[in-house]
Order: sequence, then structure tokens, then C-alpha cells
Amino acid sequence: MEILNSLWESICSIFTSSGLATLSWENYVMMCISFILLYLAIKKQYEPLLLLPIAFGMLLVNVFPGIMANPTNEMLTEAQVLARNLDPASYTTTVLDGTTYYNVGQNGGLFYYLYQGVHLGIFPPLIFLGIGAMTDFGPLIANPKSFFLGAAAQVGIFITFIGAILLGFQANEAGSIAIIGGADGPTAIFVTSKLAPNLLGPIAVAAYSYMALVPIIQPPIMKLLTTKKERSVVMQQLRPVSKIEKILFPIIVVVIIALLLPDAAPLVGMLMLGNLFKESGVVSRISNTAQNELMNIVTIFLGVTVGATATGQVFLSVSTLGIILLGLIAFCMGTACGVLFGKIMCAVTHGKVNPLIGSAGVSAVPMAARISQKVGQEENPANFLLMHAMGPNVAGVIGSAVAAGVLISQIPH
Amino acid sequence: MEMALNLLLAGVVIVFFVLVLLIFIIKIYSAIVQAAQNGNQKRKDAKKAAEKKPEPVKAEPQASTIQTTTDNGAIPGEVIAVIAAAVDAMYDKPVKIKSVRRSRSNSGSSWRNAGLFENTKPF
Repeated sequence: MEILNSLWESICSIFTSSGLATLSWENYVMMCISFILLYLAIKKQYEPLLLLPIAFGMLLVNVFPGIMANPTNEMLTEAQVLARNLDPASYTTTVLDGTTYYNVGQNGGLFYYLYQGVHLGIFPPLIFLGIGAMTDFGPLIANPKSFFLGAAAQVGIFITFIGAILLGFQANEAGSIAIIGGADGPTAIFVTSKLAPNLLGPIAVAAYSYMALVPIIQPPIMKLLTTKKERSVVMQQLRPVSKIEKILFPIIVVVIIALLLPDAAPLVGMLMLGNLFKESGVVSRISNTAQNELMNIVTIFLGVTVGATATGQVFLSVSTLGIILLGLIAFCMGTACGVLFGKIMCAVTHGKVNPLIGSAGVSAVPMAARISQKVGQEENPANFLLMHAMGPNVAGVIGSAVAAGVLISQIPH
Repeated sequence: MEMALNLLLAGVVIVFFVLVLLIFIIKIYSAIVQAAQNGNQKRKDAKKAAEKKPEPVKAEPQASTIQTTTDNGAIPGEVIAVIAAAVDAMYDKPVKIKSVRRSRSNSGSSWRNAGLFENTKPF
């Protein structure tokens, strides 16, 4: 009989400590959301490299919240310390009501430690290192006026900031939400980790979702704001760019931006370092590592830990709906501002610039440039806008990093 | 709200200022680099011309003239003819190809180039 009682107590103990007894309904809803995201990543292949680890991190933290638990400090009596076969001399003591307690530290969950790369702003610049090593700034150097379009597409960020303030968000939260309009995941995470770490989950999910939805969101805006004649403009071939120009570019850009806007230096600095690895041609091993192994490793850690911030209690709130809505507005505004500035450039140059390349001013490399190419070819199948759109596209990466620097420096946090 | 409007104004001005500054700097250094490279090229051409006056060889298409001197003579005549045709197609006026050399750039093996082509094909 005692054996049966002991067995029953063991079963009860396992059940009370299991997820079935400790999880709330929010966790189960989040599990369902993570299943949908996994489906979109695997079946529909929407940004699977990021969506899959994000969705799995979301699933894991909602099944087992302890995986993201902070390290704790447990106060044990001497008897309890000895019972655990620990050496009391190794711990500091606290005396309470005449009793001596030993401060025994407890490790945090696995994701807590991996998350420090996000929390301390380490992973996004490392991702930028890889992006820099993969990016060809040649089209931008050949046509530096593309910077105008990269700058224009960032206007949506600052307009959305006002919208977020009007909806009742604090300034630091509004800045983090507005940066979604830059269409640059690592930049959004970097800014949010500095300004409003509590919103990291919803903002990262919204930013990457909209980046994945670029082919659906951008074309209607581009067509709405341009005429058939403007969409048919054929642009002149870009001049070839010499190797020395490509080598000088990252050095000059990092000096200028880091001097003027130090808060943007971590992102732009690593972006340009990666690009210098590529263009110098003398460190091909490092360049390959930055754009492959390092990028993949950081993407895994970044993805799962960002997903792990989306616990049910944090994610399922009215503010998340506001973030998703405002993120969409920011993204659309960025696209619209880029296209409208493209129209101005088209008018000023007497039809030498196709306004469709303006939409590529939001980052989302190279997807946004491919959309410019696709929409342009719908009007004129012989029109090749891709290389022209890559100029504003990579200018948008620099522009969003500059906008991030402005937000971090101007918003109190 | 006042703070939001200030940020809108400051943000737009700073982003445009920094990127417009980059436009000017890129234009200036590109002009300097191109001028320096053109100067070097002219000096090299003048030196070559002084060393040996090339004897033009007539080739198809008629607009182009080719001198089939190569680094080690390993480039087949057909390849040179194709290069001449491509050059002729690119220029509206008659051009003269003085020499054809294999690239010494460290661009890697054929496998690497094939991989590169495969990866960039969708663009």
C-alpha cells in the first residue's frame, strides 16, 4: 500500500511541475501562432531562414518558460547546503533573524544566455558584418544620387513615430515601432534592444513578417503612385566601378557616419567592415566566414532568442495589435515616400529615372530591388531595373542605420 | 507631441544631410580616382606606343582591327574574333583592339564561377 501511495505522490509531483499544470491559456495560443509561423516558413517559405528559428523559439519558450529564466540567487541554510553536497565556504552569507543563509546562485535557462547577444546589441551588428560581406555597393557608387531615394524611404519611420505617439505609446516604444518602416530586421532589433527591450518579440515578428510580405505590400503602392509612362522609363546603363573606388567606399562611409552619428557606428561600422573584407580581395577566408558560417550561427541564435521573447503574457496584448498595425503603416509610408521622391527625380532629370526604383529605398535587400524589377518588367518586358534598384536598396540599408542612430540619440531611454 | 514633431524634423534633416554629404564625397573621390586611372592609362599607352608601333590586322567585323599578339599565344583566334565582335557591338564608332590578355585576377576556379553564376541567376 505504501508503495502505491509513493507512486501516486510521484505522479502528482511530476504532474504539478509539468507544463500541463503550470502553463496558462496564453501559452497555448502562442503555441498555435508558432505552428502557423512554422507552416509559413516550411510550406510557404516566407523568409524561412529567420521565421523558422523565430517560430521554434516561440514554441519552446511557451512550452517550457524556464528556458528563458533569469539566473536566481537561492538562500539556503547550512544544512540544506550540505544536503546538496555543496561546500559552504564557497558562498557568501546573509544573516536574517539570527539565522545564517548561504547565497547559492542558480543558473538561468539556456536561451537567457544566448539572448544576451540580443540584449547587449551584439548580434545585429554581426549580422550586418555578414550583410556587408555579401553586398555589392557598385550600383550605389556608380549612381550616388540613389542615396536620395534611400533617405526618402526613411521618412516613413519618422512619420510613424508621430502616429505611435498619438496612439499613446511612450517615446521609446514609438521609436522602436517606427523603425519597422526601415524594413531592416537587425536594425529594428538593435534599436528595440536599446529603447524598449520589452517590445522585442512583437517588433521582431512584425519586422520580419513585413519583410517577407514585400512582394504583396509594395506593388499596389508602386502602381497607385506612378503612371504607366513613368513605370516604362528605361534607365541608362550604369558605368563600371573600379576596384579602388569599391575599396575606398566602406572606409569613407564609416568615417563620415561614425563621426557625425556615433550611435549608428556599431551597425554601419560592421556593415562596412564586412564590405571591406569582400572588396579588398585579400581576406577571402574571413569574407567567406562572415557571409556564411558566422552569419548562419548568429542567425540561429538571434532567431530562436527573439522568438523566445514572445511569451503569451507579453505577446497577447492590445499593444501588440497596435505595433503590428503601425509597423504596416511605417512600411507602406517608407515605400510611398521612396516612390514619390523617385517621381521628383524623374521630373527633375526629364524622365531619366524610373520612379519604381524609389520603393527599393526601404532596405529588405535584395527583395525590394527585385520587386522594382518585376513591376517595371510588367510594363516593359525589355526593361531591366534591377541594378538601378540595387543602388537605392543598399542606400536604404545605410539610411536605416542612420535613422536608427538618430532615434537612439534623440529619444531618452 | 512637440517632441514627436521635433524628432520628425531632426530625423529627416539629419538623414538627408548625412546621405547627401556622402553623395558629394563619393562623386569627388570617384572623379579623382577616375582621373588618376585615366592618367595612368594614357601614360601606359604612350609608353607602349613608344616601345613598339603595333601593326593592325584586319579582321571581321570590318569596323574593328585586331592585333593578335597575346601573352603567350594561347588564346585561340576564334576567341579573339568573338571578343572583337563583342567590342564592336558595344561601340558605335570603329575601334582598334591593341592587345588581348588573359585576366590575372584571382577570381577563382571554374567551379567557383559556376557556383556564382548559379546563385546570381535569379537576379
